[in-house]
Amino acid sequence: MRTSRRSPAHLQNGAAYLFLLPWLIGFFCLTLGPMIGSLYLSLTKYNLLNAPEWIGFANYAELFTNDDKFTQSLSVTFKYVFMSVPLRLIFALLVAMALNKGIRALGVYRTVYYVPSLLGGSVAISIVWRQLFGGDGAINRFLGWFGVKGPYWISHPDYIMYPIVTLAVWQFGSSMVIFLAGLKQVPSDLYEASQVDGAGKLRQFFRITLPLLTPVIFFNLIMTVINSFQAFTPAYVIGDGSGGPLDASLFYTLYLYLEGFAYFNMGYASALAWIILAIIALLTGIIFATSRYWVFYGDGKEGR
Amino acid sequence: MKRRGLSIVLASTLLALAGCGSSGGPGGDNASPSASPSAAPSGSASASASGEQEQVELRISWWGDQARADLTNKAIELFEQKNPNIKLTGEFAPFDGYFDKLNTQLASDTAPDIFFLGGNVIDYANKDVLLDLGPYVGNELKLDDMDPTMIEYGTVNGKLIHVSVGANARGIIVNKTMFDKAGIPVPQDGWTWDDYARISKEISDKLGDGYYGTYNFTTDGMDIYLKQNGKQLYDMANNKLGFEEADILPWFQYWDNTAKAGGVVPIELQVSNPPDDTGKSLLLTGKVAMTLLPSNNLVTFQGLTQDEFTMVQLPRGPKGTGVVFESSQGISGFAKTKHPNEVAKFIDFIINDPDAAKALGNNRGVPVTSANRAALVAEASPADKIVYDYTSRVSEQTKKEPFAISYNPPGNAEFIKLSDNTVQEIGFGKASVEKAVQGFYEGTVKIFESNQ
Repeated sequence: MRTSRRSPAHLQNGAAYLFLLPWLIGFFCLTLGPMIGSLYLSLTKYNLLNAPEWIGFANYAELFTNDDKFTQSLSVTFKYVFMSVPLRLIFALLVAMALNKGIRALGVYRTVYYVPSLLGGSVAISIVWRQLFGGDGAINRFLGWFGVKGPYWISHPDYIMYPIVTLAVWQFGSSMVIFLAGLKQVPSDLYEASQVDGAGKLRQFFRITLPLLTPVIFFNLIMTVINSFQAFTPAYVIGDGSGGPLDASLFYTLYLYLEGFAYFNMGYASALAWIILAIIALLTGIIFATSRYWVFYGDGKEGR
Repeated sequence: MKRRGLSIVLASTLLALAGCGSSGGPGGDNASPSASPSAAPSGSASASASGEQEQVELRISWWGDQARADLTNKAIELFEQKNPNIKLTGEFAPFDGYFDKLNTQLASDTAPDIFFLGGNVIDYANKDVLLDLGPYVGNELKLDDMDPTMIEYGTVNGKLIHVSVGANARGIIVNKTMFDKAGIPVPQDGWTWDDYARISKEISDKLGDGYYGTYNFTTDGMDIYLKQNGKQLYDMANNKLGFEEADILPWFQYWDNTAKAGGVVPIELQVSNPPDDTGKSLLLTGKVAMTLLPSNNLVTFQGLTQDEFTMVQLPRGPKGTGVVFESSQGISGFAKTKHPNEVAKFIDFIINDPDAAKALGNNRGVPVTSANRAALVAEASPADKIVYDYTSRVSEQTKKEPFAISYNPPGNAEFIKLSDNTVQEIGFGKASVEKAVQGFYEGTVKIFESNQ
């Protein structure tokens, strides 16, 4: 009789695993498998076409001691992350607050502002961006009306980062939607109470809105940071596809791609991939570690 | 019970893993035929009549624009009509992404049976992925009429792994209309680099703001410059670099000086409007009067503008022009193709069949067999004639001043990138010429060594 009692539980487990199966297959085949593969390749010299040749940690040694492009691509990527993440979050929050004023047809605006998030990663938009910021593109013509001669945004190493960051900021939609949801959660009686006590708009924002939004900001920050480190398409399409001009658009991911697929150094590219994974993990860890000092959960359980 | 459930999952996951591990193989053989023309209608009938001929499907890939694709598909169609048992599926991509894709396909054993390669043959020859065509020469593949230097070019380490399908000679392409506007006589063969710098500056000065004498072709002309001075980029016989830092420094200095004098396109414009990009080239918009290009580009360029183009030999250095008739691109087979005979047959068709030559024209350069060259000369357009005239002048020149055929060094893509970066470093004023060239040479050595 034991079996009869157990069989439903067994069936339940089976069903659960069955439904998990697609994810598990995906995880093992498409994530874990390749990751283990790349860990192995990162310890080899592998030119993509001949069998990999074991060289131990030589790739990593080369990376840290003798590769200007590695440092260049890291600095480009960090510059991008530190410029685009705060700008995007601030912009998203401002738009979310504007939309939270109770305007009519909110749904329409929400959709309209969300669209760039869907399109922004695409090649087509990157090409549009290229045209906009080109030497005689729309941006420079606009500047020309005011007598300003705009630089060659795309083809000058000192300026190319700005079009790329602008594109990232323009994709504020998904952060905005999450902010909007967060803003709706802030109890309106807090505002009323503070108003009675004579708090101005600015004070309300810094004393009520911002603290109550910190969990949402925290979430958005993590997601945006991780995404920004992985940015590839804008660098590939807005730049010349090989990091130019002068490696100013040599994002880390792009460098990795070039090493692996264009320069026949797949082992080296794998090592690069593991370094960026470590960097992202470290940064995410730091953000998590600091979160208990600045993230405020309304239910009184501070952080975790 | 729980454990059993888990083991089932693990087992099935393992199965799935095994499944996704071995998915390479011949999977690509039935790729979508979207790019291929309609197959020969009479094909299956005649094949089954002869009984022994099995149906063979081959894939072929090349780079280029739609115009080239149309020509190539036409040739493929003709081949299919003549060989009803073979079906070819064409794939093409723009030059920028072509080799990245090919590399990935080669790595996963899903490469096309036939693919085009350019100046980077060595990179592939050294990696044993190209089909040895030697056994088919004289049978499926007839090379009797082909220029011996071209056969030599495709023979690496004693194996024929590449068959050139077009020859060209690099030269200075000149926008005559701009010279007329500026009132400057069109330069003639036999000029020097000083002339080149002077004329470039004159064009810029006479035509005013926004017009320039020349593009900066430090990278593209580097091997020619070295040959003019008795050196070479890559000394293949001894497998080492063929030049020292001091040999190349004057070349970078020459361009820096010419640019500072004002005859060269500003570096920002050079980056945003590269000379060989037909969508953006300032040669086509009448803003730049001269640059270095392979002769087969002239026909394409002439077809896109009202301005009149012509070709002049390169300015001379101590040893001459340094230009030879060279392979512009060619075909290789994939070492793991299942139908090497058919691959050889197709290559034979492209280089020997007059109909193929007529379909393809000079798009990839002048045909490599004399019979096909004759077939094309008969119906040459005015632009074609300029090319023939130029290439025959080069042929004459090389009889007097022979230069050996040469290859790009291994790690070509990375090397080109390094050279372009050096030009930009100097152009954007980020480093002095001496310092930039020092970095360039160190980088070149490093790339060369890591690609051994």
